[in-house]
Amino acid sequence: MGESPVPFSTYRTEVRNEWLDYNGHMHDASYGIVLSDANEELFEVLDLSADYRAASGASFFTVECHIRYLAECSLGEMLSATTIMLAADAKRVRLYTEIRREDGRVAATGDSVYLHVDVAIGKTVHMPPDRHDRVQDMLAAHAGLPRPATLGLGVGAARA
Amino acid sequence: MQPAWVDYNGHMSESCYLLAFGDNADAFFRYIGIDEHYRAAGHSLYTVETHLRHLREAGEAAPLSMTLRVLDHDDKRVHVFHEMFLGDSEELLATAEQMLVHVDSRAGRSAPMPPDIALHLEAIHRAHAALAVPAAVGKPMRIRRG
Repeated sequence: MGESPVPFSTYRTEVRNEWLDYNGHMHDASYGIVLSDANEELFEVLDLSADYRAASGASFFTVECHIRYLAECSLGEMLSATTIMLAADAKRVRLYTEIRREDGRVAATGDSVYLHVDVAIGKTVHMPPDRHDRVQDMLAAHAGLPRPATLGLGVGAARA
Repeated sequence: MQPAWVDYNGHMSESCYLLAFGDNADAFFRYIGIDEHYRAAGHSLYTVETHLRHLREAGEAAPLSMTLRVLDHDDKRVHVFHEMFLGDSEELLATAEQMLVHVDSRAGRSAPMPPDIALHLEAIHRAHAALAVPAAVGKPMRIRRG
């Protein structure tokens, strides 16, 4: 694995026209696209993305995702993402992602759990040792990062 | 399920679950009077939080059916729980727990719902209170081991 920033923070995207709702703001589901694309970039750096899938027949699937919508985003606005690897074992990875607008305001956060699945048999399987090592290296590199206060709270709890 | 929703694995992609649950919420809110006319008059519901759980894969063209129940509400907020099933079966594919806030779109801040909508929501909430609360509700995210 090459050097990657800590936290992982290379992803950038412009808000696209097809992501907007009738109000001209980004639709709920579009925040899901951005979170998912940002995390995919992290999996790419770990060589656990499309090439890995093609070569190994295994891939990461989201099993759970908790999104908090915090601010609106408009057409053409540049968004960036910061991702912390919170936890990982041989079959699972948990990522916390913040999507930021150009003005620095956090537009959304995502807390996602991914499972490593053998696509042909549809079952969760262990990662091969070299990929597991890469994941553990990133986990160790992210271990000292501060954890967000809302982490581990259920829906509605952060605002009660 | 629509062909455009399918990812490289031939499965429904993640954001499409959000689209489908969004449509389900929209159908419910239309039922209680929150539609284009209502939104054009200056108020709307914004999603502030969504917790998705993916339980089974859905293949292309799979028929989907959805339920929604009102877990709680106050004058500005609605807490709902969706379940997505394969066709008319009891095979649960995914769930979504959501918090929505009623907003004054022009002022860009939360605002109480009008009495007619609040009363309608209250009646539905009372009827749904008889249902058992799903085990997933209010559960935080974590890696479940073993």
